[in-house]
Amino acid sequence: MTNQEIAIDVEDLRISYRCLKAYSIKKSLFQLKKSKVEIYEAVRGVSFQVQKGEILGMVGKNGSGKSTMLRAIAGIFSPDSGRIDLHGNSVSLLAIGVGFQKRLSGRENILLSGMLLGFTEEQVRERMDEIIEFAGLGKFIDMPVKTYSSGMHSKLAFSITAILESDIMLIDEVLSVGDTRFKRKSYRKMKQLISDKDRTVVVVSHNSETLRKLCTRLLWLHDGEIKMLGETDEVLEAYEEFMS
Amino acid sequence: MKFFRDFKKYWDYTGCAARAELKSEVASSYLNWLWWILDPLLFMMVYTFIAEIIFNRSQPYFPVFVFIGLTMWNFFNKTVLGSVKIIKNNNAIVSKVYVPKFILVVQKMLVNGFKMCISFVLILFMMVLFKVPFTYKILYIIPILIVLVCISFGIANLMLHFGVFVEDLHNVMAVVLRLTFYMSGIFFSIMDRVPEPYNALLLKANPVAFLLNAGRGCMLYGETPSLKLLFLWAVLGILISVIALKTVYKYENSYVKVV
Repeated sequence: MTNQEIAIDVEDLRISYRCLKAYSIKKSLFQLKKSKVEIYEAVRGVSFQVQKGEILGMVGKNGSGKSTMLRAIAGIFSPDSGRIDLHGNSVSLLAIGVGFQKRLSGRENILLSGMLLGFTEEQVRERMDEIIEFAGLGKFIDMPVKTYSSGMHSKLAFSITAILESDIMLIDEVLSVGDTRFKRKSYRKMKQLISDKDRTVVVVSHNSETLRKLCTRLLWLHDGEIKMLGETDEVLEAYEEFMS
Repeated sequence: MKFFRDFKKYWDYTGCAARAELKSEVASSYLNWLWWILDPLLFMMVYTFIAEIIFNRSQPYFPVFVFIGLTMWNFFNKTVLGSVKIIKNNNAIVSKVYVPKFILVVQKMLVNGFKMCISFVLILFMMVLFKVPFTYKILYIIPILIVLVCISFGIANLMLHFGVFVEDLHNVMAVVLRLTFYMSGIFFSIMDRVPEPYNALLLKANPVAFLLNAGRGCMLYGETPSLKLLFLWAVLGILISVIALKTVYKYENSYVKVV
């Protein structure tokens, strides 16, 4: 994949959480002493590129900035400095336990999520049956999402993102959701999505097995910095040694 | 301008989301849509009772007078108060995909606006029932409502922004809005009940009071609203909206970091 185009271009990305504790009028009245402004840098100067069609795995211990980075790539919040260029590709983020309006039914949530991902109403309706079938929730699809178990929640989320294909998929530790059967099904779907050479995927996972099987390259983040970036086996070996 | 581009781009989504929200309100109980009608009707009775029986004060067509006031007030109140925690309540969406945050306010306004429309249909019925003479001046209600929407939108966006950073803004706003409620003359006429010279001042300086008064004037009493003031508040409404939108656009990507 030498002369391929680049899908994600991240340059010297820095994201910090700064004094963003919500402030309350009551608190500021009773605490005249100013609380110190805390700056926490989650991502510190990371640069990398992902080529079109590549599956990049991302590893690192908890709190090393993986999710923050995915969110930044998805455009949910802007970097404090640095640049993210997606070259006009559409992007969707798949993460645990988020994304639904609990009062609405599964069906309505599919429609709304799809439209938020930039599809038109017709496009989503066309693929609605496919999504419902893939999720395999049975009669629960017409019940409010608040009645779902966490497994069903994730199944629905995965199905929407998997069937409504965007150019770039960002997957945050959701490959191990659902029961064994759904896991197998989602794994197969991932394989199929990945075999499409126009699709770029970034996967965050703690499961070495999955990463080894899916990814072409691996990025190891440590405390918001790149510790290693390279071939999957090579990085995984070093990472496992470091973690043990 | 970015606002109009985003507005167009997300319009379909906003419409769908608003429809889904209304539908879910109905779905949760069979009688719920009835509450869209019953709620203003019952409150109208409460305020009519208080004003006519207890304070022995009345206006021509008093129940309709109260109903128009309540309808417009409810729209403003629900939009503004609902926007304070709007980011927190929509955390599920906001933390998953990018959506211009003002879209959430628009969605809320569509929901409240729909209920306001139902109320206005009821008002027309009541006007027939109370034999209020219809004049062409009733059409002035359209620009009046547009100004109301504009002002609500601006204030709601400001609330959205500060609501993220100030935890107890909801409590503060509940009090402020209650004060505004009494200063807007929902169940009394400000002109007749508030002593001079404060009555005229209140009707000029409080946009809700002015719009309510103008709305009742044109619908019930065939009066032409002060077009100068209407225009002035329209300009101010747009100004507030522009400032609020600028602020929201500037900071919207850090909202997620707070919640």
